[in-house]
Amino acid sequence: MAKLKMKKIELIAMLTDSKKIIELLQRRGVVEISRNDDEELENTNVTAVVGEFDKFRNTAVQALDIIDNYAPEKASITDMFSGKTEVEKHEFGREAMQMEKVMSAANEIIKNQRLITDSANSISQLEIKCDMLQRWLPLDVPLNFKGTATTSAYIGTLPYQITAESLEDQLPDNCSVEVVSGSKEQTNLFILCSKSSYDEAGDVLRRLAFVSASEPESHTPLELISMYEQEISDLEKGTDEAKENIEKLAENRKELRFVIDYLQMRKEKYDALSGLGFTESTFVLTGYIPEKYCEQLRKEIEAKYTASITFTDPTDDDDVPVLLENSSFSSPVEGITKMYALPGKGDVDPTPVMSFFYYLFFGMMLSDAGYGLLMLIGTTIALKKFKLETSMRKTLTMFRNCGISTIFWGALFGSWFGDIAQVVARNFFDKEIGSLALWFEPLTDPVKLLLVSFGLGILHLLLGVAVSFKMTWDTGKKLDAIFDALPIYLIVIGVAPIGAGMFISVPSALTNAGLYMLIAGVVILVLTAGRTSKSVFGKFFGGLYALYNTATGYLGDILSYSRLLALGLATGSIASVINLIGTMPENKVFKLILLIIVFVVGHTANLAINLLGAYVHTDRLQFVELFSKFYTGGGREFTPLTVNTKYIKFKEENTND
Amino acid sequence: MTNGLVLALIGAALAALLAGIGSAKGVSLVGEAASGVVSVDPSKFSKVLLLELLPGTQGLYGLIAAMFILIKTNVLSGNAADLTVQQGLAFLAASLPIAVVGLISGIMQGRTAAAGVSITAKKPDHNGKAIIMAAMVETYAILALLISVLMILNIAV
Repeated sequence: MAKLKMKKIELIAMLTDSKKIIELLQRRGVVEISRNDDEELENTNVTAVVGEFDKFRNTAVQALDIIDNYAPEKASITDMFSGKTEVEKHEFGREAMQMEKVMSAANEIIKNQRLITDSANSISQLEIKCDMLQRWLPLDVPLNFKGTATTSAYIGTLPYQITAESLEDQLPDNCSVEVVSGSKEQTNLFILCSKSSYDEAGDVLRRLAFVSASEPESHTPLELISMYEQEISDLEKGTDEAKENIEKLAENRKELRFVIDYLQMRKEKYDALSGLGFTESTFVLTGYIPEKYCEQLRKEIEAKYTASITFTDPTDDDDVPVLLENSSFSSPVEGITKMYALPGKGDVDPTPVMSFFYYLFFGMMLSDAGYGLLMLIGTTIALKKFKLETSMRKTLTMFRNCGISTIFWGALFGSWFGDIAQVVARNFFDKEIGSLALWFEPLTDPVKLLLVSFGLGILHLLLGVAVSFKMTWDTGKKLDAIFDALPIYLIVIGVAPIGAGMFISVPSALTNAGLYMLIAGVVILVLTAGRTSKSVFGKFFGGLYALYNTATGYLGDILSYSRLLALGLATGSIASVINLIGTMPENKVFKLILLIIVFVVGHTANLAINLLGAYVHTDRLQFVELFSKFYTGGGREFTPLTVNTKYIKFKEENTND
Repeated sequence: MTNGLVLALIGAALAALLAGIGSAKGVSLVGEAASGVVSVDPSKFSKVLLLELLPGTQGLYGLIAAMFILIKTNVLSGNAADLTVQQGLAFLAASLPIAVVGLISGIMQGRTAAAGVSITAKKPDHNGKAIIMAAMVETYAILALLISVLMILNIAV
């Protein structure tokens, strides 16, 4: 129960069977393939094939994104938990057969999407043009109108405000000016001159910073605008059609998902192939496999294929991957271990060490039986009702166990949605029902709970030291194990009654015994902690330094467990405040209505925030206080070749197909 | 109403006020960082929300301490106790740990959590580590709350 023992696997088989064997391994998902590094064996180059799969897969993913964008699937909260669609293996083959059809649909979807973006660009350009033309709307000649047989025309803009008369004054005599439109920033002008004074007028205008209107089309602005508007509405129609097409093609959603997963599997299969070593007619596969799957896999492969399989123990130099396996009680908190780091080479799996205290501390921090009940009900329903991924299932199981622990502590402390029972009885039935606590209420005696917290903390810490002791002992350094652990036990256990004596009365026999243990512990620590140092001075100061470290370190660690009390108090007192707010009004009817509303909203919020708090601070107590005693971490996760699909999973897993 | 009661109420007000300001500032710091991440990848919302909530607890701790003072002085039940100036000062002193530590640790935790948002953005699987780092800061608010509450509960009225 801990880290699974790993074996190295070496499989030699016929080249012709290579794809089938890889497929089998992929479905079983128990072997992590290492890259072949034997130079005498050939490697195969699969880059081109894998690239092809990637390209198709990307197209399908892109198409699926587009569909989700234009025709989103109606998602509900149940979908979130419902996991992957289950399919039979042969059905998966059939779906994959339709790949060409699905890929053409994917390309069609992408084409339509491109049409929509292109149209959107054109439309915005046309709209800008229309805006420009609005200024020239009163003009009934095209903007590129040059004049008649005897006249010449200037059509353009001056970058300031000017009246027709003042401009005419500056121009030669036989010019007439018409202001088409204007504003403070600019004046749009139509100027007609006789042919003879055309050049002269041009010179004057240039000096005034006149800019000619540029428009290649020989249509009046009015005509142009209506043409553009027609074009826009055509494009919009096209866009709508493209959207409809996409919505129609959205029926391929399921097939697209299949194809994405199918291609992903093929790609990974070929990636695995690239890790193999080849001779002319055989291939060699090396990798890691958990010991317990060895024989089963050997039987299965040897029954079907000509192959030689050898299992060997990994050497110290091997980078062995880590896979955790624990009892059903501990395995739900494996996720917490993973969040910190997987056990490294010399580590034990800390999951079984912390699991009991994890549930215990979580319950103590949340410490409201009502909230625990909600957690228990919610997670049990979710676990029963939905098909879940393994990791999700583990997390929910963890919260279910924490919920049970929360009910336990809540009942001990008499907190059911705070003091709702007492509040209802007092306000609506004029009765005092007193405390519901099976043990005591933290608010009436916080010091007692503080000492309980420290006590549990000491047990938690000593457990960590014990694990460290066992690890050192197992490596053969038995004296080291004793000298590291014994003084800490003596000091911590010795200090406990003395410390408790500051708050409550402790029998003097206990404090005296504690004092002797403390002194013995300190002496042993000072004498032995510096043992690795060579000189006598080094030994002595090493011992003193260790004493200082132990004193400050363990004191800080133990005090840190006061959060068990503080977070418990926080939950309970906020819950009481919520109930109090609900019963503010004098009128009983108002009181009832308000209480119901405040109860639902308030307790939901309180549960959410304290759930987060309990989770985070339980993690912290494990990571900082417990793990620091024996755990380093830094292991690599076991990543077997497996069916790594996103949307589907296989129903079968019978071994005789 | 005695001067002592006024002092006690000032204590309650400080606890709720300063710790609340700390949390508001802390949560807003994380919120700003989180919005940047969500604008790129909306699916990370739930993860960054967890981080954003972390500095929110100091405000709650302040509320708890304030509530304890109000309950202890019977202000909530309507017949407020006639506190002496000494008693009032005692309540005021008791409110200080959570008020001051709540203010500062709320802001500091906000900064740590805001930095943690970048962990969530780049390596979403390691979100838990960001949460733990931010939770370290909260330790001191919890200790302060503990001392405040123990002091309040043990003042003789």
